[in-house]
Amino acid sequence: MKPLLKNSSILLAVILLVALTLPLYAGEYYIHIGVMVLFYAYMAVAWNILGGYAGQHSLGHSLFMGIGAYTSTYLFSVMGITPWLGMWVGGALAGVMGLFVGYLCFRYGLKGPYFALVTIALAEAAVYIATNAEGIGGAQGLSVAWTGNAPEMMQFNGKGGYYYVILVMTVAAIVLSTWIIRRRFGYQLLAVRENEDAAEALGVDTLRVKVQASIISAMLTALGGTFFAQYFTYINPRNVFGEGPSIQILLFAIIGGLGTVWGPVVGALVLVPVAELSRGWLGGSFSGAHILLYGTVMVLVMLFMPNGIVGLYEKIRQRIQNRNEKSEVA
Amino acid sequence: MLEVSKLRRDFGGLTAVHDLTFKVEAGEIVGLIGPNGAGKTTTFSMLAGFIPPTSGDIVFQGKSILGLKPHQVCKLGVTRTFQIVQPFPDMTILENVMVGAYARYTGTVDARRKALEVLERVNLAHKANTLGKNLNLLELKRLEIGKALATEPSLLLLDEVAAGLKDAEVDNILVLVRQLNKEGITFLIVEHLMKVIMNLSHRVIVLDFGQMIAQGTPDEITKDPAVLEAYLGKEA
Repeated sequence: MKPLLKNSSILLAVILLVALTLPLYAGEYYIHIGVMVLFYAYMAVAWNILGGYAGQHSLGHSLFMGIGAYTSTYLFSVMGITPWLGMWVGGALAGVMGLFVGYLCFRYGLKGPYFALVTIALAEAAVYIATNAEGIGGAQGLSVAWTGNAPEMMQFNGKGGYYYVILVMTVAAIVLSTWIIRRRFGYQLLAVRENEDAAEALGVDTLRVKVQASIISAMLTALGGTFFAQYFTYINPRNVFGEGPSIQILLFAIIGGLGTVWGPVVGALVLVPVAELSRGWLGGSFSGAHILLYGTVMVLVMLFMPNGIVGLYEKIRQRIQNRNEKSEVA
Repeated sequence: MLEVSKLRRDFGGLTAVHDLTFKVEAGEIVGLIGPNGAGKTTTFSMLAGFIPPTSGDIVFQGKSILGLKPHQVCKLGVTRTFQIVQPFPDMTILENVMVGAYARYTGTVDARRKALEVLERVNLAHKANTLGKNLNLLELKRLEIGKALATEPSLLLLDEVAAGLKDAEVDNILVLVRQLNKEGITFLIVEHLMKVIMNLSHRVIVLDFGQMIAQGTPDEITKDPAVLEAYLGKEA
């Protein structure tokens, strides 16, 4: 056990060091890939708190992303309020929405596919509401007004600034997610996922912990929505409320390993570069080939690693540990 | 300690439990028996807050627990186990039991200490780091008791903890329950195995078609004509 722990903390330190220094030597294109990896890792970690830990698979997390993106962008572009503040307003609104969705579904015992369907429906409803709300740009969407290199407005010349913003957000989300899973709340979420009746019989207020997970997950996702808007400087109903981001977020969590701290991060770390690089390399010569490659990688992971990449790693680790124990006995 | 009065549960047109009235005193081990479909598990589910009764009342330590959810009933000191074992399959045994311990302890250090203590009691300490899905049936039955014990119940509802076990294993469970009872835990036990009921129970309640047809000491019960009829049918 011991040396393994040591190895993994060294590995972690190396990854963090690479992550911290990437913008110093990488070109803009690679920094962009770094931003995308971190952004999706962040979103997947946020999704994982409800979807992975508590086992309630939301297929409509774009609802919260959109609330975050639209709130901060509206406050910034129309009223001049900095996104640094606006993101928390969006987070609070999304938190209220998370409470509403969570309570509505879990109070009436919606589970599995039924919960998933409700989340899809609500996100889709948000697309149509935003499309028809002229006050927030309607189908045209909103552009984030450019104010020059203004860190106080979460705007930067070049991609390096954005990179560090999302790096801090991702590290913070991982820390929060780790903290949660090591305490009572985390154990109770896992128990709900594993067996709700048994959890309830052992004194777990299953409704309460599920709603709490929904609120936390929604708030974090909304903060990511603000970052998305600032980075791409343009949002419309389809690209923040639509099914695209919903599906992508949960793919990374599932491929990486559902319900583990590192699964969502690993998923994004492996898949986002595959997607981005293959688009860069193949997109010009064989159009569509990159999607084919991306799909193939995903199918392979699903087939050979049903518990995700981290799940496979855990399995191998257990096997080695078992073998060591056996050889110690012998 | 527990007073059940006129407890009734209808499923559509079927009355699973019919105006059931009984008491459990502190320190007792009470057996609840009856043929299949007599309403034993339904009674358990109502006592633990999983199914709302159609009518009647359940009073625990002087207060009605009617309408409370299972987790609230558990906090008051009534914990049930399940006839079909319900482990948390992808959590370790230690973590499984910690979930129960968290009902009493908010801190992880305290919950872990409590859980380790319980694992010693139910002979699973050596399996602490095994996943729930990797246990055999005896271990699962022990885990089921362990999880419930960790919630520090004053009344423990055991639903067929011995079913499916070998003789020697059943004896293990008997010893454990008797010990726990000496330490002050009151038991209400549903069981098909007469060996368990006859060995453990201070008092036995017999249900048939949702109604109590007899109660008394194990000896009295085995001689009761109504009980014999329910189990063996009418004499020709």
